[in-house]
Amino acid sequence: MNFVNSLKSEWLKTRRSAASWLCLAGGLFMPFIFLTGLLVKHRTLNDYGITETAWKTFTLQQWELMSVLLLPLGIVLAGTLMTQVEYKNNTWKQLHTTPQTYSTIFFAKLAAIVFMTVLFFILFQLGIILSGFIPSLVFKKTLPGQPLPWRFFWNINRHMFIGCLPVIALQFLLSLQLKNFIIPVGIGIMMVIASVILVKTTAYAWLCPYTYTILFLSGDANKLAKVNLDLISTAYFILISIAAYVLYKSRKEKG
Amino acid sequence: MYCIQTDGLTYSYSRQERILNGLNLKIPQGSIYGFLGPNGAGKTTTLRLILGLIRKQNGSVTIFGKPFEGNRIEILKRTGTLIESPSIYANLTAAENLKALQYIYQCPESRINDVLKMVGLHGTGNKMAGKFSLGMKQRLSIAMALLNNPELLILDEPTNGLDPNGIIEIRELLKKLNKEQGMTIVISSHLLGEVEKLVSDVGIIHNGSLLFQGTLQELKIKQENSAAICFETGDAGSTFSMFVENGITPLGSKDGKVLIPPVPKEKIAFLNRILNEASVDVYSISIQHNDLESIFINLIK
Repeated sequence: MNFVNSLKSEWLKTRRSAASWLCLAGGLFMPFIFLTGLLVKHRTLNDYGITETAWKTFTLQQWELMSVLLLPLGIVLAGTLMTQVEYKNNTWKQLHTTPQTYSTIFFAKLAAIVFMTVLFFILFQLGIILSGFIPSLVFKKTLPGQPLPWRFFWNINRHMFIGCLPVIALQFLLSLQLKNFIIPVGIGIMMVIASVILVKTTAYAWLCPYTYTILFLSGDANKLAKVNLDLISTAYFILISIAAYVLYKSRKEKG
Repeated sequence: MYCIQTDGLTYSYSRQERILNGLNLKIPQGSIYGFLGPNGAGKTTTLRLILGLIRKQNGSVTIFGKPFEGNRIEILKRTGTLIESPSIYANLTAAENLKALQYIYQCPESRINDVLKMVGLHGTGNKMAGKFSLGMKQRLSIAMALLNNPELLILDEPTNGLDPNGIIEIRELLKKLNKEQGMTIVISSHLLGEVEKLVSDVGIIHNGSLLFQGTLQELKIKQENSAAICFETGDAGSTFSMFVENGITPLGSKDGKVLIPPVPKEKIAFLNRILNEASVDVYSISIQHNDLESIFINLIK
């Protein structure tokens, strides 16, 4: 119960915050671009060729652009911003004098970032669906003929979400340790760029936790044959989170 | 019974720089304790150590009769704090800031409006706390410290940024809370004059050491004892010697004035008489009181 209350408190802190605006704008950005493109060209989902896979093709197109840069960068920024809210507002001392264990504070904060990521995925998925529906309603005055591939949506979202978890944990760790907002963001951006290069140049890109969102979508199947990305990603998330907690707990100054 | 007790609290940021030297604070239950000292004396470091915000190096902290270590949650449930500058979320309104804490303390939701009224912020509505003036932010911080209706309230320089009216209002509020609810209040300040009208007990810290600790009454006795009688005469040198010859050791002489410790009025008349008999002009005889501020300054000199 303590944890739930702490999580509610953390979630309230995101209200009108830069991270929440980023989540909203980031989640709807790509669908808005696609929607605008379709409306301008007077196209609908039916114009995607193979009708049975129109939704899949349409979704993958949006994910391809999202997974390489926008998603990891968004996670870097939102994760860092949400953690840094305490430094920015000089509130660590207030938070650490509330009757909560350090583990409750830590995991509630981490959970709030994970929840924000889930919200981003929901918004993005809704955006994809709406950007498919709206042109059909406008031009054909009817809904798209193809059924929504819910299982496909679930699978791609699940993989991508799991792929984001190590990035969330790493950015969380960095943001807790470094008071200066620029450093964790800078490191995050550098890692995102490095991960793009790694995916293009080495078979061992999967060792870098920032590569998973790209690898899930565009990874060479042969390269990844022996690697379970979901498993590695989850393992990284757990290990990095434990490391972040140990470092946070052992901090000499808590505000 | 002490609400807060520290024994041999020592802290240094580096080997060369010792911030606290074996501090033994004894803060009585139900008191308003003024923790005084100039900037950099170690007040905030002491309060941060007491609240576990920095890791203790040496010594012990006992609050409500229990060691802080091992009882942190239980102690913090009964404590309200404001450490240094205001700690508020700029993107939230005053009520939302309090709501974020209410979730944790699980106190009645009505407390949010109650404390907002107490500090005079109930009319701020949807205004973001980031747009508040420093005084309003300070009021909100005090409201946050009061939200859980604590038994112990620790306020580090709470009047920073408040206008004179605000200072009086907060002073009256703290007095009321102490009187009506028996709340123990620790209030740090670098100005004795600011807390003199509020506190019942005083601790004066300088360079990490406690120079005085006791009731305000004891400090006032110290003040009375440090009063002096000033003789302004035409010949300070002769006055000084004549006083010594008559068994009075002057405290000093300056600008034609000779200061002696308090003596009975008959003795003053006698000294006046011998000065007249020696043809030394006496211009004035007056009693000099040291105010608390000068005692404070003398202590930390």
